[in-house]
Amino acid sequence: MATAIPGDLIELLNDPAATKVLATVDEDGVPHLAVKQSLYVDVAGRLVYTELLESSRSNRNLVRSIWFGKSVSVIVSGAGGRSFQVKGKPVKTHISGPLFRKHYQEIRSLLGDVDVAAVWIIEPQEVIDGSYAARSAEERSRFPFFDHLDRLVKPAAPAA
Amino acid sequence: MANLNLAIKEKRPLSRAEVTEKYPDIPPLVILKADVQRRGVHYSEAALGALDLELHATTGTHIFGARDGKIAARPESFLLRDGSSIITTPTPLELDPYLVDLHEGRPFLFEDGEPVEEVDYWPRPDFYDKTSSSGTLMQNVVSARPQRLNIFPYRYCTFWNNGNGCSFCDIVTQMKKGKEELGIPARLDPLEVKEVVREALLEPGRYAALFLTAGSNVAGKRAFDDEVDYYIEILQRVGELFSVPNIPSQLIGTAFDDGQLERLYRETPLTSYTADIEVLGEELFNRHCPGKAEYIGYKEWKRRLVRAVDIFGPGRVNTGLVAGVELTSPGGYKNEDEALARTLEEAEDLASQGVSTVYIVWSPRPGTAIGDQKNASLEYYVRLAAGLHGLRGKYRLPIGFDDYRRCGNHPDSDLSRLHNF
Repeated sequence: MATAIPGDLIELLNDPAATKVLATVDEDGVPHLAVKQSLYVDVAGRLVYTELLESSRSNRNLVRSIWFGKSVSVIVSGAGGRSFQVKGKPVKTHISGPLFRKHYQEIRSLLGDVDVAAVWIIEPQEVIDGSYAARSAEERSRFPFFDHLDRLVKPAAPAA
Repeated sequence: MANLNLAIKEKRPLSRAEVTEKYPDIPPLVILKADVQRRGVHYSEAALGALDLELHATTGTHIFGARDGKIAARPESFLLRDGSSIITTPTPLELDPYLVDLHEGRPFLFEDGEPVEEVDYWPRPDFYDKTSSSGTLMQNVVSARPQRLNIFPYRYCTFWNNGNGCSFCDIVTQMKKGKEELGIPARLDPLEVKEVVREALLEPGRYAALFLTAGSNVAGKRAFDDEVDYYIEILQRVGELFSVPNIPSQLIGTAFDDGQLERLYRETPLTSYTADIEVLGEELFNRHCPGKAEYIGYKEWKRRLVRAVDIFGPGRVNTGLVAGVELTSPGGYKNEDEALARTLEEAEDLASQGVSTVYIVWSPRPGTAIGDQKNASLEYYVRLAAGLHGLRGKYRLPIGFDDYRRCGNHPDSDLSRLHNF
């Protein structure tokens, strides 16, 4: 089931200064993580990833994912510790046609003489806020036993 | 599972759903592709209405004909979601093809009235509507797949001169239609080919391979010298466009002798070589390919393929099968198990010597000697794909020159996308 990425997180994903990591899984279930700054969110709310190398592990794992319905994850981290994770499924890859051509030209204008193997479309399935503040609040609410007691001690009264 | 068990018990051919369930390691999209190739397609009026002549490639320049025998503006073929192509032919409705119709405004494959999978019509190349300096429409000189430029230098095969053309081939019929109905030159001018390729390469990111094929030409001082000379001339002219001596390219030609292979490799930018043996097994080869048998012979065809590996290198030579003809009458294997075992045995003999084998799904075409027979079951094509793919894994044979992107017509080489060699 597709899910919508909140507007502020789209803003972070589309921020060139944010760090974006694509996590895929190989045939043995071993995660493969790679920084992929080409990731962005399109107008339909889907993740778009431009793969430069046909033989890359990410590309092979994405092929496996689209063939067998497996999920991938994208982690985004921005300024001030903001981070979140999008789980999604690759639903389409463009290797020719207008969208491929657009990305081919854009990437080459940015990076110079590079090739493009494919433009992947990933449909978001779940969005998880990964920042410490959000996760800490969630944990305290859902798992009240997961705290160290010294963190709960009343602050000492200031000396007179 | 219940349906699958019942089908196995009744020994009836498995449906696509049953094959998908039985072979969970084969991607459902590859199974679908093989089934669509096997059964063909029929376009609804709505699907044809969605064909935009400015955006989509339409049929017209095939070297081989359509299953329904017509030349008309229809989608050339289509892309699946995974980036692979389904190269298929319009097929009469009575043969139970998949229907291409619109679903939520987009072209979809339909089976039994249900939408099965979204498809995209192949994008139209920029150069198609331009004309060469001779005034010929460029699409009639060079054609294209989503990532490949096709050059069909001529459209005849001299094996037909004494009636020894292959049993499944309609190249001559198609040549006549192409010449009469579309004005396609029967023989291309190498300089004009260069002119059109130069124009095609102006489209950014569009082409990842150059491809040549034609029929066999026995003429020359040694048999096939004229065919080789002509390929060399075209490849050299096209090669002048590039800054590197070798370019990603494939030639499907006759099984040439050592000297001819050496010339192709040394005198041109060609980087891979294919000589289609069509069917594995000497008796079947003699029956279905009498011209190839007359001039070269089965064992010599195989020897030349192996010799080509010495010249072009491992992973750069293969041979193609028209899969399904090995089961036709008379003379075919008695059942699919036997056909699979014998075919893979021969393919392994080649693979162990560096030659890959790929297949296309045989599409019975009107006007051919076996055009009134049926091709094999879907399960057969899936098992064959898995078997040939497995051989490439066992002998570590890369197939990048004939894969989903650079060709798109082989379910077995689609599977190589997961290989790391």
